[in-house]
Amino acid sequence: MGKPTGFKEFVRETPAERDASLRILDWNEFHQHMPEADLRKQGARCMDCGVPFCHTGDLMANMATGCPVNNLIPEWNDLVYRGHWREALDRLHKTNNFPEFTGRVCPAPCEGSCVLGIIEPPVTIKNIECSIIDHGFEQGWVVPQPPAHRTGKTIAVVGSGPAGLAAAAQLNKAGHTVTVFERADRIGGLLMYGIPNMKLDKGVVERRVNLLSEEGVKFVTSTEIGKDIPADKLLNEFDAVILCTGATRPRDLPIPGRQLKGIHYAMEFLHANTKSLLDNGLTNGHYISAKDKRVIVIGGGDTGTDCLGTSMRHGCRSIVNFEIVPMPPQTRAPNNPWPQWPRVFKVDYGHAEVEAKWGKDPREFSIETVEFYGDEQGNVKGLKAHQVDWSKPIPGGPPFSPVPGSERTFDCDLVLLAMGFLGPESPVASQLGVALDPRSNYKAEFEKYRTSNEKVFAAGDCRRGQSLVVWAINEGRGAARECDRWLMKSTQLP
Amino acid sequence: MILSDRAAGFDRIPVSSLLACGAVHHHLVRNELRTRIGLVIESGEAREVHHHCLLVGYGADAINPYLAFEAIAHARDNGEIGPEWTDDKIVYSYRKGVANGILKVMAKMGISTLASYKGAQIFEALGLDNEVVDLCFAGTPSRIKGVGFDVLAEEAIRRHTIGYPAGEGYVGILPNPGLYHWRKTGEKHAWNPFTISEIQAAARSGDKNAYKRFAKLVNEQTSKECHLRGMLKFRKGNPIPLDQVEPASEIVKRFCTGAMSYGSISAEAHETLAIAMNRLGGKSNTGEGGEDYARFKPMSNGDSKRSAIKQVASGRFGVTSYYLTNADELQIKISQGAKPGEGGELPGKKVDKTIAATRHSTPGVGLISPPPHHDIYSIEDLSQLIFDLKNSNPSARISVKLVSEVGVGTVAAGVAKGHADNILISGHEGGTGASPLTSIKHAGLPWELGIAETHQTLVLNDLRSRVRLQTDGQLKTGRDVVIACLLGAEEFGFATAPLITLGCIMMRKCHLNTCPVGIATQDPELRKKFSGKPEHVINYLFMVAEEARELMAELGFRSIPEMVGHSEMLEFDAPADHWKAKHLDLSMVLTPATKPHEKAGTCHQISQNHGLEEVLDNELIEKAWLSLTEAKDSRFPMIIENVDRAFGTMLSHEISKRHGVEALPTDTVHIDVKGSAGQSFGAWAVHGVTLELEGDANDFVGKGLSGGRIIIYPPKNSGFAPEDNIIIGNVALYGAVHGECYFRGMAAERFCVRNSGATAVVEGVGDHGCEYMTGGIAVILGPTGRNFAAGMSGGVAFVYDPHDKLLKNCNLEMVEFEKVETEKDLKDLRDLITNHREFTGSTVAADILNDWDRALPKFRKVMPVDYKRALREMAEEEARQKAETVGLDEGDARSNVAEQATSGRM
Repeated sequence: MGKPTGFKEFVRETPAERDASLRILDWNEFHQHMPEADLRKQGARCMDCGVPFCHTGDLMANMATGCPVNNLIPEWNDLVYRGHWREALDRLHKTNNFPEFTGRVCPAPCEGSCVLGIIEPPVTIKNIECSIIDHGFEQGWVVPQPPAHRTGKTIAVVGSGPAGLAAAAQLNKAGHTVTVFERADRIGGLLMYGIPNMKLDKGVVERRVNLLSEEGVKFVTSTEIGKDIPADKLLNEFDAVILCTGATRPRDLPIPGRQLKGIHYAMEFLHANTKSLLDNGLTNGHYISAKDKRVIVIGGGDTGTDCLGTSMRHGCRSIVNFEIVPMPPQTRAPNNPWPQWPRVFKVDYGHAEVEAKWGKDPREFSIETVEFYGDEQGNVKGLKAHQVDWSKPIPGGPPFSPVPGSERTFDCDLVLLAMGFLGPESPVASQLGVALDPRSNYKAEFEKYRTSNEKVFAAGDCRRGQSLVVWAINEGRGAARECDRWLMKSTQLP
Repeated sequence: MILSDRAAGFDRIPVSSLLACGAVHHHLVRNELRTRIGLVIESGEAREVHHHCLLVGYGADAINPYLAFEAIAHARDNGEIGPEWTDDKIVYSYRKGVANGILKVMAKMGISTLASYKGAQIFEALGLDNEVVDLCFAGTPSRIKGVGFDVLAEEAIRRHTIGYPAGEGYVGILPNPGLYHWRKTGEKHAWNPFTISEIQAAARSGDKNAYKRFAKLVNEQTSKECHLRGMLKFRKGNPIPLDQVEPASEIVKRFCTGAMSYGSISAEAHETLAIAMNRLGGKSNTGEGGEDYARFKPMSNGDSKRSAIKQVASGRFGVTSYYLTNADELQIKISQGAKPGEGGELPGKKVDKTIAATRHSTPGVGLISPPPHHDIYSIEDLSQLIFDLKNSNPSARISVKLVSEVGVGTVAAGVAKGHADNILISGHEGGTGASPLTSIKHAGLPWELGIAETHQTLVLNDLRSRVRLQTDGQLKTGRDVVIACLLGAEEFGFATAPLITLGCIMMRKCHLNTCPVGIATQDPELRKKFSGKPEHVINYLFMVAEEARELMAELGFRSIPEMVGHSEMLEFDAPADHWKAKHLDLSMVLTPATKPHEKAGTCHQISQNHGLEEVLDNELIEKAWLSLTEAKDSRFPMIIENVDRAFGTMLSHEISKRHGVEALPTDTVHIDVKGSAGQSFGAWAVHGVTLELEGDANDFVGKGLSGGRIIIYPPKNSGFAPEDNIIIGNVALYGAVHGECYFRGMAAERFCVRNSGATAVVEGVGDHGCEYMTGGIAVILGPTGRNFAAGMSGGVAFVYDPHDKLLKNCNLEMVEFEKVETEKDLKDLRDLITNHREFTGSTVAADILNDWDRALPKFRKVMPVDYKRALREMAEEEARQKAETVGLDEGDARSNVAEQATSGRM
């Protein structure tokens, strides 16, 4: 630790984002960088704790506490403070294959458990991470590092999201020949089509995919395993298979009127938008437009926020975001102590953009949608919803009950369902003889990743259920390690 | 002969240089060839101080740590350190650092020269099999056996693989082993994010389920990973109903908190611990930094911030009669489990005004406790200190803190015979982040070994029933308490765990004064962040006791005393799945104690006989009764013999008890004593007591002097020249805080050692005069011995040095000489010499005064450099404040007062 008193001398500062009312006019990233001198001060705030909770990476109260890939945060904070960017980059890459992704999209459980957070705003870990890797790319330090030797073993990775890419990167590093199969036309899975461009520029994803290609990873796009290629063919042609298909089955809202036109899953909306944007700058019309529409986004997670940001850029007429849970407190509740993930009210980029345009946060809390209604053409026209009370659970039913007399109607032309995901959807599992767990995920133990088929491993959301990008990277790395151990009888992969 | 591992590489795995060194050294010794040849170790392995100590300790004559040098040079080439670090400078600085480290280790082992340390192998092995010890480390104790060459080889291979992965794969960055900081994939630590967050949740909410989660983590996981007790399990007992086990409220009375000084931790943390333990009926511990007297008075809400245990450590900071009087237990810290042989080290920046006042030292001046107690060089000396302390407070029990090490049982037997009431066996795992790194990792041993050995030895010698045994060292759960009890303990110390309940998050920055949660800091801003409450500690300790009760019920014990020493209820739980731990053998720990005869007790049953009824002070108290009760003057004669020890100590205690810290007006009790005084004459004598002795005195005169006046001169009818003869023994005025002394004659060695405020005049001193002094004035009218003023960080000494001998004898590491020229110095010196002449009839004093103008230039003022700086800073601060209030020109005021300060006119 370069500066023991840094946390007393400097206050937390993150780089200003681009102005919310201007950035909605384009699709460029809203992140900006900070001057190096300021970043170094932020690095100096790290206290180099004897027990750095930021690096824990485990579940407490069912939420991630600390970095799930166990980033060596105190080490690189100090290196940044002292201006040793190259060493910082090496430290960062040691635990995280894709810091440019997590540095942009991670909700940063590291900061939630930062020890400084007990008394002051935590260290800006996420921003430092992002700066280290972006600086590394700028300086040309991130170059392909193909393995010196090939083992001759071949591995198929199904799915090219963060778990699949991490597994591929690690296995390739160990000298195996890796082929990644992706059903979409571009590599990246949720990184490519789930997260919109303003949050994670697609050039950033492609840059990393190109590096992996140059290191020897083979990518096969527009090919769905189980459909275009029978899954058992993989078993015959490869020494091992790693399933990283994600949790892509969206949760539905089976209420009256659900069949009306204008009600879509969020992922349909986001995927089509990014594809059209990349194909021809949204000129082909192959996407669901929110322009001049009254939009309601149901679900208040990251995907819901992405729907807000995307709708704003389309030029929606109005937008509301439904959240079934109550409004979180401004500061930690007594049952949510440090170092648990802080369940507090946060303003994400989408909320800020709505507020900048219309002066009001778009969120409605403790609200449940009960019915959609439409016009004669079968287009959705509005919905009915009521408030719910979480202090009065219904025995044997949901953990909340409707507030009598609270029913309201909302006019709308476009409804986006962003209510989470239930599990993997592809028929791969049955074709490979892979057992499912009770939640319909591929059954494999955490840190072992071996499915009921000994040649098949599973990692990421398809094993874990929907979660964070950073958990997917953790699992992809872990599955690579276990696969390598199985193939080679020992492993040096972390 | 050079043993080298330079040829290590891709296809060559080096044997540990220590194994090689020890094996060759012992082979040569066995063949009677060792003295004919030099042994040089050229190794990439040696990097930390401890590595060098081991190599030297097992026979190396020289070490070339080439990789350490190269690593530093590499850091320079990479820009980690500046280009000014030339190769020569790197080698020089690294060697110097290592040499200082070895010196420190030697000091704590009580060894002065490298020749004595070399090959002395003062180490204990933990977890090594006999085959290794016999070949490489013959004669080193290794009590729990452990790994053999096969495991060591495997370990070497694993380490090699990290550097040379199969194929020529990407090495990248070496893993952080997490030795001093927790890392997910590093070495296991008992306190990790999970144990810390669970205990805090449990303590803050009092939620039993949260505590159970914590206890489960500790008992079933971290204990197995980190502690010997994790490899023990309970045998099946005869269960009894839970309600037949003594209540938790009785068990918690046997709990103490650790000796963490006010200074090392903040007032808020220290006081919260005290309040909590007082509410519980347990005991908190002052640590070695004294205690603010205001805390002795109960608070308006009935709480008390008074620490029941007052520690007496080698530094003797703030150990006054009044302090000792306000104790239920006086704990002599011989050694600290976490850093045996070392004392507290308080960096200067943590010594603020209040702390300095509590410790009777100077703000801003760092305080390092000396390794030994200067009044203890033998078990008899310890017995003497026990006696002195018992006199200073007859109602307090006297405890002696020892560390777990091989042979501690024998030491404890001596301590029991020396009449300690309590013996604490301290384990290695505690200690704050302020401990030196060599101590954190490489010093001390598990309490399991120490408490078992102590209990077994005391029972065997029929001494067990006279003492209470206590243990500490990372106790965390009820299971820990029960195991400690089964191995022989009846009281239990907790330190880290209670601090964590109060918010400590194991920053391990205790030495930097930057503790962000206001515990190990004196920074006023950070202290505001302290959020601990007494309830947190109370909740936690009660839940520990409840867990212990449940285990007691299962084992069939109704109370702690019933359970003490029943090691047959434990068995070794071999960790079959751990490649290293499975070789251990804990049978030594589990050996049941052997009774010498049927009636020999196996737990505390009887009180020690301290012999207090025979001390002269009983008579003094009687004769001075009116002074005690009504503050009336009393003056009376006494005859003393050399068996009469601690004269005036119990009298002073009675005065402290009745009159508080102010004691009595000067000379209220004046005792005219004749004869040869025994040891500790006038120990902790308080203000208002004058002891005038015609005769001579043994060692420890004026130990801990707390305001009293001691005058000693030879019998009026003696024919010798007093100034040429020794009149008082060694270690006079050790830890004196306040008071004045006049000795007509010479003092023996270590005069005024650790004096922090008393004024003394003497006519010559032996070696090591004024050592470690932090305050007060010593006037020496005759010759000094060698090593004068070593480690002196405060106070001043005026030495009459007509023959210019002081320069040769003085240790100038921390002090410098000045002339006596300021008004204040001139007055002080002249007044003291005048007093000396008046009180003792000294002709030396008379001669100097008669020829003052010619004598004066021959005085040298010995002034500690740090002290001078601190005084100047205080003066500047005062000047600033004065300037602000009076509106005076600041520059003038500052220079005025600063000048006064540096000239000692404060």
